[in-house]
Amino acid sequence: MNRTTRVKGTARAKRTASVKGTAGGRRARRLDPLSLTGLGCLLLLVLVALGSLVHAGGDPDAIVGPRLQPPGPGWWLGTDNLGRSMLPRVMEGVGTTLLLSSAAVLVTAALSAGFGILAGYRGGYLNELVMRVVELLYSFPAIVLAILVAAVAGPGQLAAVASIVLVTIPLMIRLVRAAAVAVAERDYVTAAAISGAGLPRILGRHILPNVAGTIAVQGTYALSVGISVEGGLSFLGFGVQPPQASLGVLIRQGGTYMMAAPWLIIGPGVVLVLAILSINVLGDGLRDRFEPRETRALI
Amino acid sequence: MILDLTDVTVSFTTGPPLRRTRLDAMRGVSLSVAEGETLGLVGESGSGKTTTSRVALGLQRPTSGTVRFDGRPFPRRRKDLAGRMQAVLQHPHWSLNPRMRIGQSVAEPLAVLGKDAGSLVPEALEQVGLEPGFADRYPHELSGGQRQRVSIARALITRPSFIVFDEAVSALDVSVQVQILNLLKDLQAEYGFAALFISHDLGAVRYVADRIAVMRGGEVVETADAVTFYSAPEHPYSRQLLESL
Ligand SMILES: Nc1ncnc2c1ncn2[C@@H]1O[C@H](COP(=O)(O)OP(=O)(O)O)[C@@H](O)[C@H]1O
Ligand SMILES: [Mg+2]
Repeated sequence: MNRTTRVKGTARAKRTASVKGTAGGRRARRLDPLSLTGLGCLLLLVLVALGSLVHAGGDPDAIVGPRLQPPGPGWWLGTDNLGRSMLPRVMEGVGTTLLLSSAAVLVTAALSAGFGILAGYRGGYLNELVMRVVELLYSFPAIVLAILVAAVAGPGQLAAVASIVLVTIPLMIRLVRAAAVAVAERDYVTAAAISGAGLPRILGRHILPNVAGTIAVQGTYALSVGISVEGGLSFLGFGVQPPQASLGVLIRQGGTYMMAAPWLIIGPGVVLVLAILSINVLGDGLRDRFEPRETRALI
Repeated sequence: MILDLTDVTVSFTTGPPLRRTRLDAMRGVSLSVAEGETLGLVGESGSGKTTTSRVALGLQRPTSGTVRFDGRPFPRRRKDLAGRMQAVLQHPHWSLNPRMRIGQSVAEPLAVLGKDAGSLVPEALEQVGLEPGFADRYPHELSGGQRQRVSIARALITRPSFIVFDEAVSALDVSVQVQILNLLKDLQAEYGFAALFISHDLGAVRYVADRIAVMRGGEVVETADAVTFYSAPEHPYSRQLLESL
């Protein structure tokens, strides 16, 4: 930490410490190999999803052969009950699932940053209100919450996004708030307040940048929760609606033919597990890299 | 007087509901600091020194008693005092925002005032014995002593008439402490700010203080001229503190 030059001798005030001889640059700790692998997998899935936009794996709606064929030339992941190739359908599904989950996580992150930081720094009534809402959301099991949302908003993509937001936001707000409370007590925040800095400067310049690591790490975990919520909701028929493919929709459709054509569920299932695993591994790496230990101790 | 505390009491209620206890962090404290003067505030940990400094800085409202800064009560809007009082606080590790370059940290009090830092940052760094090149660094690249120098530069940049030093050297090695204390004396001779210098270490306070106030359990038990205090302390508790020096 303190790789620095000292003022030599008895150091009269006006003697200057040398800048030379001090290794510069920011902390350059890399992600560990495991989380790099996770990042690689995730990027690969994004690439796959982008590929589906140009029908890189074929047309997801075209009927290419007989029904319920096992994997083989022309349909590398088999065909479904209508004779459509599973490969482009899984690719489209990855895209839908990733897109909905990331959109939801962005909303969660933005709301958590706003309310978590304000509640953590200001305390008082706003803090009480935010924490009560968070507790209320916490008290619902994730899938019950998701079904309630679908019942109110109607099944579809909006229900999926709103469910992911409501499921992921309680933990994120709590952790961002805890991190903001810890940062708010630091001397640089007090010093800024003494200098006369207003709320926007204190929150924007001092607290937000120092809880951004927590937001990034929790956002990563929230993404994997989001993927499983989308999977679950669409599996139950309350999320994405066919003919649009999502991983949840494909697993639901595959479930019907599980005995006759297990490849229908294996393809999207493996991809779902891979996506969740690689994101969690990446989250662990980001946590070790970004999140200061003392904010983690509060969790 | 730049700062006047008259009969200030600060009470905190702590503990779970139904079993709340009241604690007086300050009880009937009267203190004053004249322009250009350094008042040393000593006392063991938990005696109420930091609470006193927070009251002096207007961060903590007294439960009772009055506070006057520059002859007036604290204005309702903090901004009206911007730049006129500053502080150098305890933990070198947390005194600077790790996400801001040193130069930005030092310039911040000016930015709050809407002023352009211009050449003031390199000058301020030079005043505290750091090369201007430090402006581009991040806090983790600096030693504890260097960080406290940066805190001092940040405090000085608006030329405040009053600065609080709350355990500002306590976390540093003794040799570094001496450097910083010398720096403080030089800067005070040059800029004439008044200071409230808080420490549990009577040796450090002796270096810089013109007058000494001793706190114990939230009360000021003795206030005296530094020379008088160190040669002939009046209160038995002061004698006890000095004996352990
Ligand atoms: N915000 C607070 N809430 C409750 N108790 C506090 C608070 N701030 C300080 N205290 C209590 O007031 C007393 C004096 O604290 P402090 O002023 O920090 O002393 P010192 O700086 O001399 O160590 C301590 O017992 C401390 O626990
Ligand atoms: Mg203290």
